[in-house]
Amino acid sequence: MTRVRITRLSLRWRVAVAFGLGSLMITGIFAVVTWNLASGYMLRQREMSATAQAEVNVRLVDSALHQGSGGLGDLLTGLTTDSDSSVLLERTQGWLTSGRQIDPARLPTPLLALGEQGVPARQRLVVEGVPVLAVTLPVSSDRSTYVELFPLTQIDRAFRYISAVLIGGVAASTLLGIAIGLWTSKRALRPLTELTRAASRVAGGDLQARLPAQDDPDLARMATTFNRTVEELEDRVRQDARFAGDVSHELRSPLTTMANAAAVLHRRRDEMTGTAGRAVELLLAEVTRFQRMVVDLLEISRDHQIDDAAVETVDLGELVDHVTRVRLHPCPVVEIDGAAPAVQGDRRRLDRVVANLLDNAEKYAGGPVRVAVLRSTAGARIEVDDAGPGIPPELRRQVFERFARGVRAGRRGDDAGSGLGLALVTQHVARHGGSAWVEDRPGGGARFVVELPVGAP
Amino acid sequence: MGHVSVGMVDVTSPLPRPSTMGRGNAEVRARLLMVEDDERIRLALGLALADEGCDVVEAASGEEALHLLATTEVDVVLLDLMLPGIDGLEVCRRLRGQGELPIIIVSARTDTSDVIAGLEAGADDYVTKPLMASELAARIRALLRRRHPASTQPRPVIRVGEVEIYPAEEAVLRGGAPVHLTRTEFGLLMELAMAEGRVVTREELLRRVWGYDYFGDTRLLDVHIRRLRRKVERDPDNPTCVLTVRGRGYKAGGLA
Repeated sequence: MTRVRITRLSLRWRVAVAFGLGSLMITGIFAVVTWNLASGYMLRQREMSATAQAEVNVRLVDSALHQGSGGLGDLLTGLTTDSDSSVLLERTQGWLTSGRQIDPARLPTPLLALGEQGVPARQRLVVEGVPVLAVTLPVSSDRSTYVELFPLTQIDRAFRYISAVLIGGVAASTLLGIAIGLWTSKRALRPLTELTRAASRVAGGDLQARLPAQDDPDLARMATTFNRTVEELEDRVRQDARFAGDVSHELRSPLTTMANAAAVLHRRRDEMTGTAGRAVELLLAEVTRFQRMVVDLLEISRDHQIDDAAVETVDLGELVDHVTRVRLHPCPVVEIDGAAPAVQGDRRRLDRVVANLLDNAEKYAGGPVRVAVLRSTAGARIEVDDAGPGIPPELRRQVFERFARGVRAGRRGDDAGSGLGLALVTQHVARHGGSAWVEDRPGGGARFVVELPVGAP
Repeated sequence: MGHVSVGMVDVTSPLPRPSTMGRGNAEVRARLLMVEDDERIRLALGLALADEGCDVVEAASGEEALHLLATTEVDVVLLDLMLPGIDGLEVCRRLRGQGELPIIIVSARTDTSDVIAGLEAGADDYVTKPLMASELAARIRALLRRRHPASTQPRPVIRVGEVEIYPAEEAVLRGGAPVHLTRTEFGLLMELAMAEGRVVTREELLRRVWGYDYFGDTRLLDVHIRRLRRKVERDPDNPTCVLTVRGRGYKAGGLA
């Protein structure tokens, strides 16, 4: 496995594999050692008993030869105790065999040579498919060689059984190691799962989420740190909300005074001539702009979450149609694609989205030329087209940023906006889980598109 | 968030004058009680409302307002929510407990929960600061017009289920017992009853009852429908007179 692959495994599986490998190594070593000891011992025992038996047999053969070779054949037959064993006797006139018939030529020459030289020897070999232990002994009376083959089938079966048990044991313990590794890592990672769950609740806006107290000293530190962080965050959010509320109130009140005092002046602008009149006009225009900006700023800076109470089923076609009908400037009839899509949303914010898109078209591109409500793959789609100069690709993202009005030419100087209109569009649409962007309108101009999911915001 | 004002009017640009404005010069000057603790707002709004043809009586606290109303007759109350002493919502509830005097809440609070609380306390309308006197005046006129529905009713009595509506007398009976509706609630019930079982969309209701080109925000309507149901339905959770048509609007049920 390459390094990349290993790191791609999840932590849990990496722990499990490590446990498995560890288990494999330990039980493997034990198994090898056990195998060596057991097989060596058993083999040695078998060899010793075979050699002892062969020596007894040789003595019998030897004494039989001393007495003359009459009963030799019967003796040899009597010496072969089971069907798989064979006894071979090399005499000057040739080979005498009994038991399982074996061609002496099949026996290894070095072994026979040793026997001929009068050196006792033994060797394990496979003769005609049967594992045997060959023992050669010299017969002292006439320089013949005694060879006896002891079958090792039983011991071989025992070896096979032992090795199967050992291999099976190693495999089982490896699997057990992996299982224990998985279980352990799951247990060990459980606090992490809880942490993840709590963190995602916090991320989702639930600042009440806390981790339960932990007994384990390592985990306890993590839990308290996490909880303290969330508490601080909650405090901050609460303070921010209170501050935003205070700011809102403190700004709205004087603005009310200013705007209404300005309205009184506006009504009497004919009474003021010359410098005073011009100054009043300037003042009024700026009060209007200031008011718009403050209101937009308050809106964009404070509401981060849509109040559940504000969410309702909104017929998008009707909503857009209604907004276009109360415009000051002429607006094209809304093109509604078949059954008007209904979305779950905050009517006030969606109104604002449509109004701001229309404002934008009026301010920068001579007014909207087409307003459409369509169904789309994502859900519902609002399109506001204008026949203005369009927006070059490099500015398409920028126009949705706050105070981005500097980036576009051609705005009407007498009707300055807050510079937050499209930023508010983006924010409100995002709150509904949708997206807003601008593209080229076929035939020139810009097409502002808002896409909203049909489900809940 | 100035545009949270329930009638979502673009308060910062010159207002589209409501079609009925300027008409009916015979209209007497509306007499208002402005309950507002900020003296500068009182002064500025007072001047501007005077320009719009309203007579303004001022009160700086809830206690003062309640005291004044015991002796002074006004057409509409403009009520701030954040007041020293008795809080605006409480003033609203007390006034509503005393009768059907139209109330418009004028507040810097823009949260949906505040709007709903204000309307539940019995207000007829909810506007948020900063607001223009012209917008306020338009709403006041609309509110006062609700007293005299535009078309005269040919029928002396309309029945919706067990509810009997007497348009001429502006009286409503349920099972023979009188029901006290505010002007807005009465207007709402009339609109539904006169549609004779057809669905009336939210926008239509807002435009006809509040008499103003409302910009969407239908919390105003939702709360008023809720209030109306509490008064005319036997079981407000299972309405039989004022029925919701999901995603479209409302209709009257059980018309006779």
